[in-house]
Amino acid sequence: MTRSVKNSLARVSGNGRPARKKQTKSPLAPPSRFYGTPLPGVRPEELSGTLIVIEGTDGSGRSTQIYLLTEWLESQGFAVQTMGLRRSYLVGEDIDALLAENAVTRMTLALMYSTDFFDQLERRILPALRSGLIVLADRYIFTLIARAAVRGIARDYLHGIYETALRPDLTFWLNVRPEIAFDREFKKSQTISYWESGRDMSLSNDLFQSFIRYQSMIKREFEYLSKRHGFLELDGESSVSAVNRVLRKRIASHLGIRSTQYKPSHALSHLWR
Amino acid sequence: MATSTPDVAIAADPSPAKQPTTKRAYPGALVVVEGIDGSGKSTQLYLLKRWLEIGGYRIHFTEWNSSPLVKSATRRGKQRRLLTATTFSLLHAADFADRCERQIMPLLHGGYLVLADRYIYTAFARDGARGCSPHWLRNLYSFAPAPDITFYFRAPLDVAVNRIVAGRPKLKYYEAGMDLGISLDRSESFRIFQERILNNYDQMVETDNFVLMDGTVRVNKLQKLMRQIVGEKIALQQFAPKKK
Repeated sequence: MTRSVKNSLARVSGNGRPARKKQTKSPLAPPSRFYGTPLPGVRPEELSGTLIVIEGTDGSGRSTQIYLLTEWLESQGFAVQTMGLRRSYLVGEDIDALLAENAVTRMTLALMYSTDFFDQLERRILPALRSGLIVLADRYIFTLIARAAVRGIARDYLHGIYETALRPDLTFWLNVRPEIAFDREFKKSQTISYWESGRDMSLSNDLFQSFIRYQSMIKREFEYLSKRHGFLELDGESSVSAVNRVLRKRIASHLGIRSTQYKPSHALSHLWR
Repeated sequence: MATSTPDVAIAADPSPAKQPTTKRAYPGALVVVEGIDGSGKSTQLYLLKRWLEIGGYRIHFTEWNSSPLVKSATRRGKQRRLLTATTFSLLHAADFADRCERQIMPLLHGGYLVLADRYIYTAFARDGARGCSPHWLRNLYSFAPAPDITFYFRAPLDVAVNRIVAGRPKLKYYEAGMDLGISLDRSESFRIFQERILNNYDQMVETDNFVLMDGTVRVNKLQKLMRQIVGEKIALQQFAPKKK
């Protein structure tokens, strides 16, 4: 049972393991922690922490997994910092306001999200990584690239903007079918959000159809990104505990943690389904 | 699988810097003024605008950093000094994108002559002086339509800086480039920052076909020249009032 779950979950894209793992050990290695030119004023060699990204659509169980991983890592003695979309002090609330109005155009929105991303990266994440923390990112540049790309913004353009971003040590993709994501989201909030169903794109007047089409487009972008960036693809439709076990195993091997035993505390036990 | 390339650089190709899109798929025209603070560009564009307005032409005037959409974020960032070179640049790009998508592009498609006080070259010069890579900046603004004319108003550094410093009680933090940590003295910092911007502008004269305007020439004389160049390079009758 354990074995089959492991095999079915760990459908690894690409060759799975980040090829540069050895390089980062050497202080003289090229600045492989960035995709292109590092951000102005950043010295890659001083970033001793680890950046772990969890990607996946709404309803893929990302946030749940991040709660559980945070508790597990803290129990193992690792300090954790989290990041996510629209959480910057600089523009987080402004994006909320823009989304509420539905009047914003695609390029403006894409650039506001990138401002939000870089504000968090420069003022929260890089300091955390300099201090040797584990950063758990609840989505990263990949969601931002996928969302903008399905709205017709050139992929090269988007990659160009994010080339100064930090390359994650591990990127997990919790892959779920749009239909399952719909069920989960509807169950949670009794409705489907305007943006998660891509209603700005006039795909269908029927909310369900619109959601499925939009999420299918996003999924295709992710399949492409997954190959390009070596995501570790997990079956997000498995149980929370099964997904969490695979995540812990992979993270433990990266960080050199021996034991992957974990049982959530009482406070988080409601998440353990 | 062996066929995929998992860990390639996100933008592996650092080669040719992107130029603004040059194809003109619209009947409008775009005239831009650029230059450091105190170079006289805004005065000259104002006079050009008055000339066209009085003549009844279909024009629209737009300014850098004027959209209400990102104003609160810009203000918050500036007040609390939260902006880095990257976020400063991205916030202005978002602001520009809003103006571009909701004003400039529709007006160009609608056959207007659009006059812009500062354009993407301001970002190239200023954000470049802050430390953003030129290649990154060119890509960031590659969605912007290329101007039909870019007037570059050039005044010697001392002339420009004195015009600004004399007229203002206190230079603002970001305006003076204090975030760069060049000097603790605001006027001194402003001067060095403007000098870097000026150098960046100078380097674009050829690559971006700037029309060089001597900012020390008398206002009315310079305006006469500006109107003449606009008349030569732009088919103004296209924007003239329709005869009934």
